[in-house]
Amino acid sequence: MKNRLEEIRKARGLTQEDLADALEVSRQTIGSLENGRYNPSILLAFKIARFFDMSIEDIFIYEEEKAL
Amino acid sequence: MKKNSTYYVLTIIGLILLAAGLYLIKNSAEPQGVMIALPYILVGLGCGVFGHGTGELISRRALKNSPDLAKKIMIEQNDERNIALVNRAKGKAYDLMVPVFGSLMIAFALMGVDLIALLLLVAAYLFICGSSVYYRIRYEKEM
Repeated sequence: MKNRLEEIRKARGLTQEDLADALEVSRQTIGSLENGRYNPSILLAFKIARFFDMSIEDIFIYEEEKAL
Repeated sequence: MKKNSTYYVLTIIGLILLAAGLYLIKNSAEPQGVMIALPYILVGLGCGVFGHGTGELISRRALKNSPDLAKKIMIEQNDERNIALVNRAKGKAYDLMVPVFGSLMIAFALMGVDLIALLLLVAAYLFICGSSVYYRIRYEKEM
């Protein structure tokens, strides 16, 4: 799943460390989320959305998986 | 988080086991049967339990003076990605354990290892497989 987390974080002038502290997750989790290597739980997705005062859909982009 | 008293008790139990093991090593002149290995098992177990207890107590004392570090450690422990990684690693290790233990049992049987030891290994293997089925059913009901 793609997301705009890095773009939004940088626009707010936050470092990965700042965001990790605010969300009470590790900095590596933020890095993995930004790289698209890790998809957050619905709870963390809500936490991120609330932190940035946005909706989940504004941050995370859902893509239908291509049919095999 | 467990109370400090649990770790004090563990430390004392470890010391008692260690002392009992050392006492038996020193005072049993011609040990026979289970007494040949028991003192050394007690020493090993005692050291392990004592080390675990004191280690936890020392780390808690150190963290008491640095709340920032304590918070960081707590975040790392509760981090959902870390938890997912640990669970995935455990799952992979379990998948590996099934064929490894299976091969080991066949190898032991072919080597003609004592039947009691072999049956104990089979029982342990089946217990772990049974636990996996039990937790699967339990989580099925919970989720």
